[in-house]
Amino acid sequence: MLRLYHWEPNANSGKPMLALAEKGVAYESHYLDLLKFDQHQPAYLAINPDGTIPAMVHGDLVLTESTPMMEYVDEAFDGPPLRPTSPAERWRMRWWMRFFDAYFGPSLSMIGWSVFVGPAARQRDPEELRAAIDRIPLEARRIAWRKAIFNEFSAAELEESRRRVVWATGILERHLATHEWIAGGMYSLGDINGFNLGYALPLSQPAVSNDEKTPHIMEWLRRIFERPATRQTWAKGRTALASRVSMLERRAPAAQ
Amino acid sequence: MLELYHWEPNGFYLKPLIALEEKGAAFTSRWFDPTAFEQMADGFPSSVESRLVLEREGPLLVADGTVISSTFFMLEYIAEAVPGPALMPEAAWHRYRARAWGQFLGLSLGSMTSALGCARYLAPDLARRDAAALRAQIDSIEPVERRNAWLAVIDGGHDEAALAALRQRLSLPVGRLEVALAQGPWLAGPDYSIADIDAYALVDPLCDLAPEVVNDARTPRLMGWLTRIAERPAVRAARARSRSGRPEQAFVPGVEPARWG
Repeated sequence: MLRLYHWEPNANSGKPMLALAEKGVAYESHYLDLLKFDQHQPAYLAINPDGTIPAMVHGDLVLTESTPMMEYVDEAFDGPPLRPTSPAERWRMRWWMRFFDAYFGPSLSMIGWSVFVGPAARQRDPEELRAAIDRIPLEARRIAWRKAIFNEFSAAELEESRRRVVWATGILERHLATHEWIAGGMYSLGDINGFNLGYALPLSQPAVSNDEKTPHIMEWLRRIFERPATRQTWAKGRTALASRVSMLERRAPAAQ
Repeated sequence: MLELYHWEPNGFYLKPLIALEEKGAAFTSRWFDPTAFEQMADGFPSSVESRLVLEREGPLLVADGTVISSTFFMLEYIAEAVPGPALMPEAAWHRYRARAWGQFLGLSLGSMTSALGCARYLAPDLARRDAAALRAQIDSIEPVERRNAWLAVIDGGHDEAALAALRQRLSLPVGRLEVALAQGPWLAGPDYSIADIDAYALVDPLCDLAPEVVNDARTPRLMGWLTRIAERPAVRAARARSRSGRPEQAFVPGVEPARWG
């Protein structure tokens, strides 16, 4: 029995969702509403005491780190391989996943949390929010939620995040100009990771990522969006966050 | 053909040295001094990834023309590509554990251990140099995050309060390692693996840098694990590559602390 505890097909939750879909592995889906702090409720903390999502339960095994979780999915289940066979290409896949997870992603999500997660959460009673934040097990996550919900990101922090997003987008565009996929010649976990980070980049950063400035990123995102597993996974989304993916539909050329 | 560009056998530089010695691999050692900024010189191996690597100053493994950076993934590369004893667990679950440790420790201790080591050893070393010449060297470093990491060392970015906070935050990763070692002698399954090599290189310096956090009374299993690894012939051989005789004092800026808090 395989169970996956996840939020929207987006960022960390979307990584194992898309990897499992690509492998054709069925799983029992447990949707947790991040904005309602479902991930900090006792029932979930019994599964993942850190209160982070996603978590995957495979028999007696509990996996909570989303990027290593994807490699587990590729190794533990039958289905099309999602990693190159060459050690050099595997290394490149992993290097880029770390770049997405630890550099590009945090800057992009700081902007996203300041404009989406924070305002959405602030609709709730402030005292209830404070109590919810106090229940978060990890100090680093408590700090992150406090900053997002009470809009405590400084102007300098947000400006630095915007600078990093512009810079990292340029790095990715140049990489995709010379590599069909993140690792090289094969669609891999690196692309799954990058898509979860960047599928909405052209919408959230229209001046930075668009058909004129980043044609290789746009084509890469569209090719991934056209994969049946991607469409199947994003159809599981329940909010406007996931439905942003529809902007990747190719438009028919305008009639002359 | 393998060439390893490395400094003293400590921290990030120690990891691939141990792995290559464990494999019994033939490789060319290219020793460089990152505090003299030799990694910035023309002719030093370079790629997009090596310039942007979050661990900043190396090491680099050049394998058939590919410049491999980022040490946990370098260990995975060595485990997969170099003949010799297996260094990656066999079972998918244990391989997940190895990678999860690599990610967690790389982003926690990869920053904390480097910061403590730089404050103790690198900052006084840089303070003895010609300030204008040093600043001119640092001003030319790209990308800006890499430059800022050096500037933080020379401008006293690690004051006592910051260092005390850092030592306090060590409790989470160190505590998790101590708990994990109650389950068995190694971190990822029944056998010694790259998870142990990776963690050893980040934890061992803490005996010197944070003895109040890592010690016989508070972390007895961790101390036993450090001793078992230190006694391995491959680890002794890697340490013996030191030129200074004081590899435990060799630190350069490492992974940037998490920007969210």
